[in-house]
Amino acid sequence: MNDNILNIKDTKFEKTAGGFVSMDLAGTFYKRVKPIRLFPFTDPSKYIAIHDEKDVEIGVIEDLAQLPKEAAALLQEQLELYYFTPVISKIINIKDEYGYAYFHVVTNRGECKFAINMGGNAVSKLSDNRLLITDLDGNRFEIADVLALSVKEQRKLDLFL
Amino acid sequence: MNFQELPVKAKEILEQNKIAANDVVAVCPFDLTFEGTYTDGYMVLTRQKLAVITGNLEELGVRLFKGVTKAQKDAVSRVASFEVNIYDRKALSGFKVEHMVATNRLCAEKDDEPIGLAACTNLYLEDINHIRDILKLLDKDENAEITVQDTDKKNDKEDEELYCPHCHNKYPDPKRKICPKCMNKKSIFLRTIGYFTRNKFVILGLFLCYMLAAVLNIAWPYLSGTMLYDNVLGKNEEALAKFGLDNRYVVALIVLVIVMLGTKLLQLVTSIAQGTLTARLVTKTVRDMKKDVFSALETLSLNFYTSKQTGSLMTRVLRDADRVTGFFIDGFPYIFINAFTILATFTIMFMLNWMMSLVAVVLVPLLVVISIKLKPALWSLYGRRHRAESAVNSRVNDNLTGARVVRAFGQQGQEIDRFEGPNDNLREAEVRIVRYNNKFTLLYEMVQEISSIWVWALGVFLLLNWHSISLGVLITFVGYIGQLNGPMRFFSWVFRMWSDSINAAQRMFEIMDAVPEVVEKDNPIALENPRGEIVIKNMTFGYDPNHPVLKDINLHVKPGEMLGIVGHSGAGKTTLVNLLSRLYDVNTGSIEVDGIDVRDLSFKDLRRNIAMVSQDTYIFMGSVADNIAYADESVSRAKIIEAARLAGAHDFISKMPDGYDTIIGASGKSLSGGERQRISIARAIIANPKILILDEATASVDTKTEKAIQAALNVLVQGRTTLSIAHRLSTLRDANHLIVIEKGRIEEEGTRQELEELGGIYHKLAELQTKSLALKAIEED
Repeated sequence: MNDNILNIKDTKFEKTAGGFVSMDLAGTFYKRVKPIRLFPFTDPSKYIAIHDEKDVEIGVIEDLAQLPKEAAALLQEQLELYYFTPVISKIINIKDEYGYAYFHVVTNRGECKFAINMGGNAVSKLSDNRLLITDLDGNRFEIADVLALSVKEQRKLDLFL
Repeated sequence: MNFQELPVKAKEILEQNKIAANDVVAVCPFDLTFEGTYTDGYMVLTRQKLAVITGNLEELGVRLFKGVTKAQKDAVSRVASFEVNIYDRKALSGFKVEHMVATNRLCAEKDDEPIGLAACTNLYLEDINHIRDILKLLDKDENAEITVQDTDKKNDKEDEELYCPHCHNKYPDPKRKICPKCMNKKSIFLRTIGYFTRNKFVILGLFLCYMLAAVLNIAWPYLSGTMLYDNVLGKNEEALAKFGLDNRYVVALIVLVIVMLGTKLLQLVTSIAQGTLTARLVTKTVRDMKKDVFSALETLSLNFYTSKQTGSLMTRVLRDADRVTGFFIDGFPYIFINAFTILATFTIMFMLNWMMSLVAVVLVPLLVVISIKLKPALWSLYGRRHRAESAVNSRVNDNLTGARVVRAFGQQGQEIDRFEGPNDNLREAEVRIVRYNNKFTLLYEMVQEISSIWVWALGVFLLLNWHSISLGVLITFVGYIGQLNGPMRFFSWVFRMWSDSINAAQRMFEIMDAVPEVVEKDNPIALENPRGEIVIKNMTFGYDPNHPVLKDINLHVKPGEMLGIVGHSGAGKTTLVNLLSRLYDVNTGSIEVDGIDVRDLSFKDLRRNIAMVSQDTYIFMGSVADNIAYADESVSRAKIIEAARLAGAHDFISKMPDGYDTIIGASGKSLSGGERQRISIARAIIANPKILILDEATASVDTKTEKAIQAALNVLVQGRTTLSIAHRLSTLRDANHLIVIEKGRIEEEGTRQELEELGGIYHKLAELQTKSLALKAIEED
């Protein structure tokens, strides 16, 4: 089987002066590596591919939890920025106007107002109750669980369910 | 943005760090920290220094994204303090913008180490790309001139027309100057009306019918109540004397009966005429609307289609037009008639007996209030149904196009299950609407019934106790109340129809208003007999301008030459040829045919002179001959046969029982990949273009057929400028010139031999293919 799984013991991750992460893999030094989630929605902390500067895969880490804490935290920080997606915790208002929908929401990153295109696939269902919303510029917002919202908020989302 | 727009605190910090306003060549806002939180930050660039100032936010405030940003930026700054990083510009190099999943990061190299400078959401992507360009420019040439246009290109204030004059929101689509927020329902309504008023006479006729029907409706209870009971049967001399029929009761009765019969007959005739006229109006309007939506769809650029689901578009063309007419035919005209009926009836009722009338109408205001309150919910219910319907259509569409794969994997069962989801959703959406409608109807009926019972009770009371009214008046009165039933019920659902109709109209107009991205110039240049010279200069293109697919392409193809285009899949080969026939427009640089920019040429001339034979062949429903003569319907039979012969298609066509008249396409005879390919080559021969594009023309056929097609192609390319994309390098044997595209750039260029000798990408590809060919040969042995 060729699944290119990295041997955790051979790896050593360090933060670089430029704000990135470097990796030493059994003696080979990569001055900057990029972690990539292979299942960003369904399994964000497992199957993390490590790419080199030219975006060529070096190998895959099966589970971030296998790494030492500091290393895992380093990669986690890179991942957080790479997959930056505010999670909507409260819907203040949704207005549907002439082909666009205007959202006013509270996210874990603060209050946001954005607009989406109604005709396209701006709202996609990741699962029955999980939505990914893409605004006009391609910025992403997530609703982790529709059922966790109040009935009133759910009704505002009705158009997209 | 420019220096002046920076918040005061930011300016102060810059001053402390000795960065003067005059030295600033670019300012770029950004909104993310490397920890993945929002911030307000700015990169300020002078020729010597790059200052990155990141705000520590006092409070998060509201983030505004595209479509909701205002022209006047929030004057209040929420930044408590700034953190500042000053870089020596000369120490930085290798600037690039890295695209992350939905965010971006400006990176550079410092002391041979990669460094992250700033991160932003897509809102500032354009700005960050812009500052990267200036950084690169300065990196190349320290004294490079940076024009005001360069630095101020992104200045919003200059682009005032990008903002809605009413609500100051930025238009979500800058090419389409429509503010969705201010585009109200009234204007949609007026626009829809426009479709109907094209048929003036029919509408006039309809209105006559409506008025007549209303008058007759009002007359009926009076005839059957007051006239019949009180005046004729009750032998009311006074009333009869008005008609000169005093003491002649039988004659009066006969006259009355004839009048009543006449009224009924007239009612019938009116309703038949009305039905006929309505049918004519509806069908014509629906046809007009569908035609407009469809032609709008045809004029739109390819990009529009890639961003919408086919199912949703089908719903718009097929169903929405029907929906729109619903309200305008069964609703709108009756508003006047029913309003007239209600008013007239009430007036008569008040004249007959004010006390009973008052009782009858006391609940009406309640109905009006409820109707208005319930409208928004309906609006979203209809929208929901539309989405559910689109989802079902998409599913069916996907499944039908993938029928072969579904069967091959034995997934029919799962597909049925998967269909159930959207189908159930649609059912649910319909049920919700019905449930809602029922609530509505129930409420109206109740009010109606209650009013009616009150009137009966009060009437009987008045009749028996005080004899203040006669039996005839009571019966007339009850008749009028019954008469009100219809119009009242009408008003209960006309609101719903309005919502449904305007909802659908909005979706249709949205398509009609979409602006094609590729538009013909006002005074296009005609291209009569082109030589077929193609020149591409410094061309850059991306489907999204911020993510270029092709970069700095320079090319020159001489008339009659054949250019081979080689590269890995996804390298941008097809994009390049699509740009030539202007399916998209380039972002920067130009593509010229015979020295004229393709953007200046008329569509007709451009496309007449360029034909494409591609991997996916479009065979439409029709005869083989029609399919071959696609580019020029008037072409003679002899020419069609000649073209088919040249394309190597004549043999298999003549073997088909119906020959050139064989119906092919969707429901006709199915053709093999190679046969379809050869028909599209014949089509290109008929088109007789000066420039020919072969996009993997032989990719989907076996080696033997490929040889046959190759022979056909060799005939076709004679005397034409040809751009040929191929995976199999053997197809490009005759190319005068080859280019290798890698990651959007021309990496290698030259003749076959030159590339072979270069030992680069081409060489590797050629080596690989020779090996696999050898392998194949062994297998075949």
